Formats: sequence, structure tokens, C-alpha cells
Amino acid sequence: MRKLLPILSLTLTTLFALSPAQAQQQPLTPVAPANNGIYSSIVRIEAATQVPDYNEPWKAGRFSGGIGTGFLIGPNKFLTNAHVVSNSRRLLITVHGSPQKHPARILHIAHDCDLALLEVEDFTPFKGLEYLQVGLIPKLESQVRVIGYPVGGNRISVTRGVVSRIDFSTYSHSRSDQHLVVQIDAAINPGNSGGPVLQDGKVVGVAFQGLRSADNTGYMIPTPVVKRFLKDIEDGSYDKYVDLGISEFPMFNPAMRKKFGLERNSPGVLVASVTPDGPCDGVLEDNDILTAINGNAVDAAGNVLIEGEKVNMNEIVERKFSGDEVQLSFTRDGKAMEKSATLKHFAPAQMYSVQYGITPRFTTFAGLVLQPLDRNLYAAHNFKNTRVRRLFAHYIDEAIFKERQDIVILTTILSDPTNTHVNSHAGKAVESINGEKVTSLDQAHALLHPTNAPEFFVIKCEGVERPIVIPGDKAAEASKRTRSNYGISLPSRLK
Amino acid sequence: MKSFLTITTLIGLVMTIHVNAATAVQNALVRVTSTQQTWSTSQPWDKSRPSSRSALGVFLKNNHILTTAEMAANSTYIELENADSTRTLAAKVIAIDYESNLALLAPTNTDEKSFLSGLQPLELGQSANIGDTVGVWQLEDNGMHLITNAIIQGADIVSSFTSGNYFLTYEAKGSLQSTSSSYSLPVIKDGKLLGMLSSYDSKDQIIDIIAPEIITAFLADTADGNYEGFPSLGISINSTVDPNFRLWLKLSEDGGGLYITKVSKGSSAENAGILKGDVLVSVAGKPIGRRGYYDDDKYGRLYWSHLIRGSHKVGDSLKVTVLRKGEKKELTATLARPVKRLIPAHTIDQAPSYLVKGGFIFQELSTTYLTGFGKDWQSTAPLNLLDALSSPEDYEEGRNKLVFLSATVPTPATTGYERIRNYIIAKVNGQKISDIPALIKAFETPGTDGLHTIEFAEGRPKTIYLDAKASDAIDAELLKRGIPKLSR
Repeated sequence: MRKLLPILSLTLTTLFALSPAQAQQQPLTPVAPANNGIYSSIVRIEAATQVPDYNEPWKAGRFSGGIGTGFLIGPNKFLTNAHVVSNSRRLLITVHGSPQKHPARILHIAHDCDLALLEVEDFTPFKGLEYLQVGLIPKLESQVRVIGYPVGGNRISVTRGVVSRIDFSTYSHSRSDQHLVVQIDAAINPGNSGGPVLQDGKVVGVAFQGLRSADNTGYMIPTPVVKRFLKDIEDGSYDKYVDLGISEFPMFNPAMRKKFGLERNSPGVLVASVTPDGPCDGVLEDNDILTAINGNAVDAAGNVLIEGEKVNMNEIVERKFSGDEVQLSFTRDGKAMEKSATLKHFAPAQMYSVQYGITPRFTTFAGLVLQPLDRNLYAAHNFKNTRVRRLFAHYIDEAIFKERQDIVILTTILSDPTNTHVNSHAGKAVESINGEKVTSLDQAHALLHPTNAPEFFVIKCEGVERPIVIPGDKAAEASKRTRSNYGISLPSRLK
Repeated sequence: MKSFLTITTLIGLVMTIHVNAATAVQNALVRVTSTQQTWSTSQPWDKSRPSSRSALGVFLKNNHILTTAEMAANSTYIELENADSTRTLAAKVIAIDYESNLALLAPTNTDEKSFLSGLQPLELGQSANIGDTVGVWQLEDNGMHLITNAIIQGADIVSSFTSGNYFLTYEAKGSLQSTSSSYSLPVIKDGKLLGMLSSYDSKDQIIDIIAPEIITAFLADTADGNYEGFPSLGISINSTVDPNFRLWLKLSEDGGGLYITKVSKGSSAENAGILKGDVLVSVAGKPIGRRGYYDDDKYGRLYWSHLIRGSHKVGDSLKVTVLRKGEKKELTATLARPVKRLIPAHTIDQAPSYLVKGGFIFQELSTTYLTGFGKDWQSTAPLNLLDALSSPEDYEEGRNKLVFLSATVPTPATTGYERIRNYIIAKVNGQKISDIPALIKAFETPGTDGLHTIEFAEGRPKTIYLDAKASDAIDAELLKRGIPKLSR
């Protein structure tokens, strides 16, 4: 497994550095001399970030920051990577050769494809600068230039490389999304992120990640992904990628082909499972043979032919938007059928994406800290419990999301006289409170904070027979005590 | 040499009996060397590389030799050697108990008089008291014995060889030197066998000695030639130390008791009428504390399980008192062996059952298979198999064992299936799969279309097909390629 790392040089800044005052005091003059040409349109982005703390969610989090690159693609439209500006509290843009820092803000951010569009508060000084044009996918073996502000100096840097691979790959920013990626042999270093990759004066990609285990390997987001992002936000909001919501299994095995009555060369891939409530739920069924999407024949491996290239069939859906329809041709029990599915973003899949720009939800009760399970929480706590790992892994395919909006985890037990004997419950999923199945953090919070306290609060965790018992008359006092002892500034955050 | 002299000169002059006793011990010491071999978890037809270890055994009556189970487990060959290494004799296992870590050996050929005639059986001694000095016996390469004195500091319930099996063990303080590859050594008190050393912690210099009560029970069980093993009640428990928990359970403020979190199906406890949620307050008349300890007449505070496993045998009945919703219930439990588990905790001395079909390798899941994933197996082993291990009750219906597809060898019959592994099997050709024999039987009747249908308990896809004729041909080919047998 390769390890991809987002290219963003992280530097720890103090709270004082967050003050935007110094940037605004400077006089506004045109940012660059005219002879800088295209370089002036490639800007340095300075982000001051605040990363939430999922271990102690009441805390403000970690203040830090980093440098990335962006480029002007239209009137007051700077394109960069989402990871350059994620969790940012302040953004400053500087132009090559100019000392001025211009406060900026995020217009649109797409974490699933690691792209963001920024605007500066005052565009006047940037007027007259060239807008970079977005071109096509570069050919294999062709040469490209990467321009940006990587580590090792303050001024602009240019490297050259050759396009060495065009493939579907994971975008490490969200860790759960896979899109088209172009690999080049130019070094892409921290700070290069969000910078343009140019060929014949046009943008052919956005530099975004490197490979820890290999030298001189950089990855860029190719233009179909960039264009899709720009089109998606045309209506003023980003609606995210859509997904078919099926998992396919290749039809290579002769016995399998015989069972489904497929000729040697007949097309089609097996539908191995359909995501409950997904776009294909009620359209496709397990064991259907999907033969074509929008008239493009699907082969036994699940590939389609687009623009002369064999690509995974999901590439068709990749270019679609929420609300678009796709025509599915398939064989069910030997009968050819045709149905259409309306594509949509599948919200429960968020469970598996790293999330940015949000504050963690939690509630506390008598020293117990309850948090909803998601990728961020998982990364912070590294759960070992088999039940928790299973709930996470099968949240969607076993339709757990239909019953449980949240998987509530008892993440931490802050020692208190009322809870000293239940330490082994930490890291387990909460199954019920006072006999009621726990289905969301809000509900768990309500059950733990009723108007009239019951005789006992009985909290049962999954896979643990012995419940946690907190006497009703001691709970409020224990909550108060642990809040003051452990510096819990906020007892709960449900939104 | 020096140790022997110290003992004889210091004590021997005063107590001549002890010199005779020391000779008796010396004449009962036997070197035991065993070659051990386990089975490969990934290729179950293969054995892993053999290893060998040596330690000491004690010669008892009937030409039997007592050693630890650890020494005899997975053995392919056991050799006995006398103290001065002049004679050797092959031995076999008469009885082995993986739970208490004891094994009884006997020469394969008792006509070997020359070996046996030099030996004298050692008597079993009585239990020891805290503060007693005992001798741990070792043999040096030159045949001289080495006695290390150790002081018994306490008695506790310890699990030594297979995890989760706790038996009465003395803990003694003493500094042992390493003379052979294993610390399976006899511990002597007053010229009689007190116990077997099962482990030694060189850092803290703590010696664990399997107690004489356990050895006596083990030997008594072997007497009729049909070894049964130690009994078990079949419950899981939790302490009731938490005052809030006690309040909720309506337990008295000064009492004890253990909260019963699980009663195994078919266990002595279930048959006695013990229910999940009961609070165990006394066993065989002994009140049980909140952490599970009782006052033992001899050893002081001991864990309750000794009342079952170390004080009774299979078939014994004893009184068990539980509190159910605050009400006292007197129950009688007839003790039995622990119930067989869906996923066995170990597969020592057992060749794993498997079936190779067309390139698919099917096995029965055991903890041994999972621990094969390395030190961090609890996070690196496949999640679905770990889940089965932690919640076997979800998988028990219709199964003796948990059959799963452990690996796929790429063959023409398994084209496209290469990535399928560690899937639990539900049905094959429409028949429920309870174990490997059932699987072998199910594969005898493919569908009328000449295809085998394999259904997984979970997986994507849930059902796959295998060409019966093609897989038979591949099986024949695999035999030619060196797999010795297609199933076991």
C-alpha cells in the first residue's frame, strides 16, 4: 500500500499570528510589475488553521498553519487545493515579487476532490493579471511544468517533469475518494500544493500530493476533475460527487459465466452488492449482470471505453452531477432489462471521509465522554474493540445507518468516585441507556439529561454484559465535579 | 558439584535422612528431550519446521515419567536420557493436560531394563506452607545435579501454558541458573516431589510451581488409563466492587458476590440452573468475595475457580448459592468438562482439518489460526473472523466448527476468485456446513449443471460457483504438484 501525503508545509504559529491587522494596514497598490507575466497569477497562500481535538473535544484545538500555492483562473477566482485551506481561520494571498498580503476567503471547497476556490477581499490590485486557462489531460510522456511555492525558499519555484501515469487513485485529503490522478516525475514538495501544472501555457492539472516511499513522484489533479468542480459550483453551491452505490465483481470465472449463461465474449460485470438507500437501491439487485451504462458496454472487469481508453465504469458517473440520470442495461435471471437511476450524493458515506471545517460533537456525563463515530474520531482514538470496528466497517453495507444515525462511542472515562470501576468500558459502543437503544448522540444526550433523574442511569455497551450504573441522585454532582476537575469548558456540543 | 557438597555438608551431617532422600531424588531424575512440530496455518497439509527443547522429568511408579505439558505438546519424538547421559530411551505420552500444564510419559519399550533399572520412583509429597524452603533440581551437562533453594512466598491461581486456564500454583523466590533450554523442573520438599516448575521469571526471580494438589488430581485421573481432565463450571463473571453496581443489584453493603455475565450452553452451570445476571455468592459452602476470592483453609485468600477446578473432579456435585433479583437460590452443580467451543482456543497435537477444492483451501477456524497473524493479531487478523471469535454465539447455529475459505490458490478453476480469502462458509450445494466432513460431503453432489455453489455467510459476492469437473482435474494436478492429501 502506498502512503500518500498531502503536500502542505505545516508550521506552528502562535495565536498572535492570527491577527489580520498587519495585512490590512498596507496600502493597496497593483501587486506586480507587468513583465512577470504568468508568474504573477500564481500566488502564495498562507493559512492559519485551527484543527479540532477529537480526544478532548471541548478544547479549542491545535493552532497551526501552512503554505500552499494557488492560481488565478477568473475575476477574483483563485483555485487551490482544499487541503491548503482546510480548517483555516485566516487566509493571506501574496503575489510573486510583492510584499503585500491580501486577506482572502473560501468561496467553495470540495473535500472529496481536494479543490477549493478562493476570493480576496479586494480584487482591485489584481486587475489586469492574466487568468490561467484550464486545458486537457496531457499525453503520456509529454513534458509539464510545476510552478509554486514549495519549501526551501520564499520565492516562486519551477520544476519540470514528464507525465508517467494516468490512473484512478485515492485522494489522500478525504482518504475515501478515488478519482483520476496524473502521475508526473517532477518533485512535488510541501508548499507546491494547489499550484498549476502547465503545458503549452495552459493548466493541465493541479499539483496536490506526493509519495512518501518514492522520490521524484508527484501527483496532480487532472482537468476533468477540475472542470467538474467548476461546473458543479456554477449554481452557487458544491453538491459533491455522486456514486452508483454498487460493488461489482469481475466475471472472469468460467463456472460463474456458465451459471449466468454468458457467452465467451458477452459483456457484463456482476453486481455483488447494492448500497441500501443508494441510487441503485430498487433499480439493481444482487446477482444482476450490468451490461451497459448510458449505452457504453461494460466488460467483464467492469471497464468501459471512453475516448479510446478503457477506464473503470465509475468514470462515467464521475463526470455526472447530483440529479443526473444514468441508463442501466442489465440481465436479471437471464432476462435483459433496462432501468434508469437518479444519481445523488450518498450522505451516510461521510462516515468514511476525513471531515474538515467542523467542530466535533460530543456530550459528557459524570466523567463519561460520548462521541459519534466517524473517520476523524477513529483516527484520534484508534479503536481496538471488534464490535466498534465492525460497526464502522459495515455501517453502510449492513444498513446500520438506517437505524442508527450515529454510532455513539464511550470514548473516555475521566476518573471520578462514581465511575472508578468501569474503566474497561472506554472505547466501546453504547448500545442502550436505561433500556433504550441508542441511535444518535442527541438522543443519548437527552436520555442522560432528563428533567427528572431516574433512580439509576444504566448504560450498556456493545459486547459488555456488565452495565455502567450511575445512581440518579449522584449524577449531576459527578458531572459538575468532573467538569471542574478536568477543565471541561463545554459540557456538550450537539451541533 | 559445588551445590551438592554444600547441601550435604551443611545439612547432611545433621540429618542423615536427607542424604538418603537426596539420593532418592537423584535416582528419579530423567532428562527429557522432545522434538516439537506444529502444523502450518496457511498450508494446513504441511508441518512447520521442527524445534527441540529439553528439561527434566520425574520418574514415578509404573515406569511413568512426569513432566510439563509444554514439554510434550506437539511432540513428534520424545527421548529420555539418564542423568550421566549414558543411556537413552524413546518415550510416548500417556496423558497430557494442556490446561494444568502436566504430562505423563512412559517408555515406548519397557523391555529396556538397563535404562529403567537405574531409576527409582519418587514419592509424591504433601502440600507446602508459605515460608517453606524447597529445592529446585537441575542437572548439569556432566551429570551432577544442581539444587537451588527457593522460599515459597504464596499460592495463587495462575494460567501457565494455555491461556485462560487457572490452577493452584506456588510462587517461590529463588535465583535459578540456566542449564538447559527449558525450565520444566521438579521441585522437591523433604525428599518428595512437591510440584513441577512451570515458569521462571529471571528478572524478579519468581518461580511458579504447579501445586501438589493439581499433580495428585492429574495422576489420579490417569490411573484408569482414560484421562478425562479438570472440571469447569462454565460461567463468565465480573466483580461487584463498584458500590453503584452493588446498589443496582440490591447487594448488601458488606457482602461479596460475583456478577455472572455469561453461562455457557450445555455447561455444568446451565444444567444447575444458573442464569446470566445471577450473583454468585458461595461455592461449596465458601462465601465468595466481590473480587472473587474466598478464604482457603490452607492458603488464605484464593480465587474461587480453585473450588471448582482444583478441588473437585468431573462428576462431583457441589452446592452453589446465587442471588437472583436479591433472592437467595441454592443450586447443585454436577461438574463436567468445559463445553467444546465453536472456535477452539488451541489446536495442540491436532492436525488441522482442511479441504482443498479446485484451488480453494477450506479450514476450521481456531484461535491458533488467528494468532498466526502475528503479535498484533487482534488488530491485523481479518475482522469477520475476529468477530466470530468474540461473539461465537452469533455463528453457533447449525455449526460444530466454523468453516471458512482460508486462501485461494490461483488455478484455472479459481480464475477471477484470487482475492477471495477468509470468508466464512454458510452453505455448499445447498447444504449447511457444520464442519469439514460436512463440507467434503456437500462437495460430493454438485448441481445438475455440473457446478458447485458456494455461499458465504457474508461477502461480496455472497455466492460463487466452481466447475465440478474442472476442479476435480485441478485437485488431481495439485496432488501431482506436491500437496500430499486433499483433505484431512
